[in-house]
Amino acid sequence: MTTAVAEPLGYRAMTAPSAGADLDFLLRRVARGDADAFAGFYDQTRARVYGLITRVLRDPGYSEETTQEVYLEVWRTAGAYDATRGSALSWLMTMAHRRAIDRVRSEQSAGQRESRYGAAMVERPGDLVADSAIAADERRRVTACLDSLTDLQRQCIELAYYGGLTYAEVSQRLSANLSTIKSRMRDALRGLRGCLGMS
Amino acid sequence: MTGPADFDLLELATPYALHAVSEDERIAIDRQLAAAPAPVANAFDDEARAVREAMAMVSAATAVEPPERLRAAVLAGIHHGKTRPSRWRTAILAAAAAIVVALAAFGAGIALRPAHTPTMAEQIMAAPDMRTSSTPMAGGTATVMFSRNMNGAVLLMNNVPPPSQGTVYQMWLVGDKGPQSAGTMNAAAITPSTTHTFTSLQNSSVLAFTVEPGDGSPQPTGKIFAKLPLT
Repeated sequence: MTTAVAEPLGYRAMTAPSAGADLDFLLRRVARGDADAFAGFYDQTRARVYGLITRVLRDPGYSEETTQEVYLEVWRTAGAYDATRGSALSWLMTMAHRRAIDRVRSEQSAGQRESRYGAAMVERPGDLVADSAIAADERRRVTACLDSLTDLQRQCIELAYYGGLTYAEVSQRLSANLSTIKSRMRDALRGLRGCLGMS
Repeated sequence: MTGPADFDLLELATPYALHAVSEDERIAIDRQLAAAPAPVANAFDDEARAVREAMAMVSAATAVEPPERLRAAVLAGIHHGKTRPSRWRTAILAAAAAIVVALAAFGAGIALRPAHTPTMAEQIMAAPDMRTSSTPMAGGTATVMFSRNMNGAVLLMNNVPPPSQGTVYQMWLVGDKGPQSAGTMNAAAITPSTTHTFTSLQNSSVLAFTVEPGDGSPQPTGKIFAKLPLT
């Protein structure tokens, strides 16, 4: 078992301005073609979307292009968002991650993605530009939750979620069998959810 | 092979939600989900959703302010020619696209699927005499799918909290000779959707659960807090 070093975030974080119910509300307005709501939605989420895409793609030009594609997709498909199936933020971040992963897999072989991973590991998010939409303490707590994972669990998340490797590629890279990797990923998410107060 | 490792589909919910499966696998998983019994598909969805919500929160850790010019480009993108189709047309197009994707996935899934020996869990769920029963359990739900012809059962526990420290959940197959231990689950074994495969039901008529100290007991010492009929 891992020990959570951060206090649980609980629903307070989920209802914070950057990640809360007003995003759902904005997205419903976007679905009706409200361009002001769309601009508001962009402003509240742009740092999360651009940051995640940059983390995966590690190229500013590609990241800008992909971010633009994501928000166009938001504009076009907001009507398909179903609040009963998850939060607006997770709908958006899933879309952003999906596009980033598709892009990195089409641009780079698994070997290239692995070698990029070496660079990804030494970089800590601490030096990134803070933005107004995400409170510094929220960022700090989430980072602490990532740090509360075991090294093996974090490595799995780094390689797969940020590195774009499939779990099968992760298992080859770490010379561990497939079911070990699957359960490590599952445990990592379980640990994160516990630490984030989402269990 | 027995136990949760037997249950390939649900084990893939986390990698699937992290986009850590290949395109071929994703297609195969979607096809399997479409054909899976509702409790399995629901458990998969629950876990995938939990993963996505967690990673949405984690995105605070990687947030980076984009260049200012990107805002103008994004907003210009949607104003370009005001070409946004009406909602009903979007819905129809989306539905048509979904059908095409589903058909393609179905065809490709069959073609790409390697020869596959069904696991015990899959055989139970596919058995013509498969039956299901459910019960609330500690704030979550336990569902068992069982086949008397296969002499086996698959247990699925959704959102059941782990047992408290120093105890385990113990499963008992209760027949005319009284309860026989059918295994234990410690805190580490419990996930938002936990599965277990029973490879022998003998003549049991009930699956019962108790909380037991340490690694479990030869006979139940705790009160039965949930039970599922196997008839």
